[in-house]
Amino acid sequence: MNDHTSSSGIADASHGHGPHVVHFKVQTPRGLWSLDEPKDATKRPEYPVSIKIEQVISDVRSVFGFVEQDSKYTLLRGREVLDPQRTLASYDIENGTLLVLSVQGGNA
Amino acid sequence: MSVAADVSLAAIKKELAAAAEYAAAACLELSADSLGEQNLRFLLRFENQGGELFYTEFECTEYPLYPPTVEFVSEDRSEKGTKRLYPQGFHTTPCICMRYNRKAYAERGGPHGDWRLLDWRLPSGNGIAIDSLALMVSDLHSKIRQSSGRMS
Repeated sequence: MNDHTSSSGIADASHGHGPHVVHFKVQTPRGLWSLDEPKDATKRPEYPVSIKIEQVISDVRSVFGFVEQDSKYTLLRGREVLDPQRTLASYDIENGTLLVLSVQGGNA
Repeated sequence: MSVAADVSLAAIKKELAAAAEYAAAACLELSADSLGEQNLRFLLRFENQGGELFYTEFECTEYPLYPPTVEFVSEDRSEKGTKRLYPQGFHTTPCICMRYNRKAYAERGGPHGDWRLLDWRLPSGNGIAIDSLALMVSDLHSKIRQSSGRMS
């Protein structure tokens, strides 16, 4: 476990009988989100597998300051688009998996 | 006002590292093998939702003072800017109609007389400001991925 609080706030859940927790990485156009990058992140990509994709998108946006509501944010695993309403468990996201946050600007 | 080629090259290389990391994670193919002071260009390969391949060239003369010229090209770069090289859904000029594309400005023959090149980092509409090469790649990735077919 790192020195930071996990996004879920259940840092001890991976031990004992708590919900299964998975940690992964998210590449964004502003850098990588991981257990130790960026250094000053207040959240880390470590979640119970019951969490929905939309929560991950919300958290990675807050870490990297993607605050614009009119932009389109999509989480992908390689070429696969992850549905915001589905859970991490439904995609069998494993520890260390690299995801991508796609950011689309507004239209002219 | 102009930007020396070595200054542009340094800026491009600095930003290209982040763009390359994004491209690798998103299964895009980035080619910058011939990037140099005499050739401030790199190429990206994208896929649309049907798996069709599209190639874009970023020509970055005078970057970062001015945005790159971003254009759809054939794989061997012998053909540029024709409608059949564009995905569906883009401006039918044809043009990647975003502030980060020099071609979109009226002073460069594009549709936007209401934009100034020096303001290229401003957002389009109410969306995020596309102010880095990595964000340009991500914006194109998102738009091409959602498209199907070609403009013609």
